[in-house]
Amino acid sequence: MSRPVFPRMDARTVADDGDTLHFCSTCAFSQACLSEGMDKQELLDLHVLVEHVGPLHANDHVFRKGDPFDAIAAVRAGTVKTYVVDREGHERVLGFHLPGEVIGLDAIDGNAYPCNAIALDIVTLCRFSFPRMAELAARAPGLQQHLFRLLSRDIGAAMRMAGDWSADQRMAAFLLGLSQRLATRGFSARRFQLTMARTDIGNYLRLAPETVSRVLKRFQDDGLIVIDRREVDLTDVGRLQALAAPILQN
Amino acid sequence: MPLNPAFDAALLGRYDRPGPRYTSYPTAPQFSMDFDERALREAVRESNGDPIPRLLSIYVHVPFCQSPCFFCGCNRIITRDPYRADVYLARLHREIALSAAMFDRDREVVQLHFGGGTPNFLSTTQLRDVVDALRRQFRFSSRSDNDVSIELDPRWMSPDDVRALADIGFNRASLGVQDFDPAVQAAVNRHQSAEETLGIIDACRRYGLRSINVDLIYGLPKQSRAGFAATLEKVIAARPDRLAVYSYAHLPDLFKPQQRIDAADLPSPELKLALLQLAIDELGAAGYTYIGMDHFALPDDDLALAQARGSLHRNFMGYTTHADTDLVGLGVSAISHIGASFSQNPRDLSTWQAAIDEGHLPVVRGVRLSEDDQLRGDLIQQLMCQGEIPVSALERRYAIAFGDYFRDALVRLRPLIDDGLVRVDEDRIVATSQGRLLLRNIAMCFDRYLDRPGIPLKFSRAI
Repeated sequence: MSRPVFPRMDARTVADDGDTLHFCSTCAFSQACLSEGMDKQELLDLHVLVEHVGPLHANDHVFRKGDPFDAIAAVRAGTVKTYVVDREGHERVLGFHLPGEVIGLDAIDGNAYPCNAIALDIVTLCRFSFPRMAELAARAPGLQQHLFRLLSRDIGAAMRMAGDWSADQRMAAFLLGLSQRLATRGFSARRFQLTMARTDIGNYLRLAPETVSRVLKRFQDDGLIVIDRREVDLTDVGRLQALAAPILQN
Repeated sequence: MPLNPAFDAALLGRYDRPGPRYTSYPTAPQFSMDFDERALREAVRESNGDPIPRLLSIYVHVPFCQSPCFFCGCNRIITRDPYRADVYLARLHREIALSAAMFDRDREVVQLHFGGGTPNFLSTTQLRDVVDALRRQFRFSSRSDNDVSIELDPRWMSPDDVRALADIGFNRASLGVQDFDPAVQAAVNRHQSAEETLGIIDACRRYGLRSINVDLIYGLPKQSRAGFAATLEKVIAARPDRLAVYSYAHLPDLFKPQQRIDAADLPSPELKLALLQLAIDELGAAGYTYIGMDHFALPDDDLALAQARGSLHRNFMGYTTHADTDLVGLGVSAISHIGASFSQNPRDLSTWQAAIDEGHLPVVRGVRLSEDDQLRGDLIQQLMCQGEIPVSALERRYAIAFGDYFRDALVRLRPLIDDGLVRVDEDRIVATSQGRLLLRNIAMCFDRYLDRPGIPLKFSRAI
């Protein structure tokens, strides 16, 4: 049986919910904590509140820019978009966060969230209260490392796209990036739904929405992908990789 | 797909029971009042967000008729007052503006159809204004296979009007004929000479329309074998590119105009089947290909070519060569199909007008499609267009195990298999030449909503 097509879920991609003693199967931190010899009971004893949030629906905000920063959150199901609004009132998409990925990390330096986070489909989250978690991280170097790793991965993804790349290169890198990230969560690497609107994709890749569609149509005509409504099938990963190579090696 | 359907009167008689025509799935009785303007706007917004947004089709409903045909089950208003059209068009133009504003500018229109009622109740000047408004506010594709089509009642127009229509950009016309037999025409209150009809067909050719369709109906009061044979002969001689041969559904409780038909004049079930057989035989002998449901086409017509390529589609306006488009329905009672939704405008003029006058999109009911709805809709569409259900393709597309998912449907299908209407191959389920006239009955096995009591009674019969 083939792997499920994101965001459809099956037993391999749905988090088992854990309990007071056990971490959920998708917990972004469980490994870091366990390697420090801390189980969930210990975290609870330290008052690092772990709280399940949701389901949120499309267009519900997880947090808004300026909200007091009190927690980071891991996406358990669905897609979260983070964005800011610039002085001219234009939206700037910062990233798309898939199951198993963490949002709110960029707030670690300050007292307030520096961006908005909004659900693009049905989203469930896990909240880890801060700054309790920061205290804990100070005591547990493994967890701290893990947090830094997540943080730099987050920044790295945005930086890579910021270079002087062609529309085709950006799009290929974007599709392959999603494919890899979903594959690590147990979803199909070849077929998945683009849960974000083309305006969001365009905004993230610095392309006009019409250009997003034109590039995808060209990819489809060239046999790189097949698109049906929101669903994309990467039919020639090799050629996509060749296109995206300069960005992915950067 | 085999070329032409086999005819087995006893079998057809047995399967002649009420059922939906599946111009949509779920069918209109499943539309709910919960689907409102906000839901429609959301559906459009979502469809704009697709990575490659769908192309658009536009349907414009013109509800007026100069004279009532007694067989009609359409939503129409009988009047000879041209002022009614002015009042209607004022709202229609506002609806066009409200609707067009929702769609991203790069979404191209590849199909425009005027239906009714009688679209040529409007003057060619009025029609031109509507088409111009649409062209200004939507983006029309410049592809050579664009369809701009109109249903015409030949009794209320001149060959010169066809020149104006061609000039506006219409490239397809569909003419209502029904039957040339004077006895039948008297019984249904539609007096229409073969001469005036053929004159309009000639004009359509002269002014370069790409395709002409003629509608016939079997099962009308006073219809006879000899009369219908004469009609078929005249129509075939005019060589329309497409023909629709509809079954008359006598449902006087549902369609008021039909109460003026004397049920005693209706042909017996045997005669009705004989008329259908006559049509199939004559059209087959004249070289027409059976497309599906009620439709025939010449082998070099776009529909027949598309079917041979496997790229035939079907929507509320009938069979089409255009791949799944989003359909924008404008005017009273018009149905839209946008993204994962169906929705419908009010069926009565005053509610439709009032909504527009208040600046609202005039949608009154609809349905948001679940994934199950989309799967079954896709399956039924394939069946209606290609005469087969592509089992393994559907399994791939929807990540299902067909046998498990459709266990109940396959049980319902068993008697149809035993009767030789369908054949189950390894990776597809195929309508046999016996089953091709009974596609509705096959589709009904896969309709999740038909299990509910009471619903099927509202539909017309299969044959």
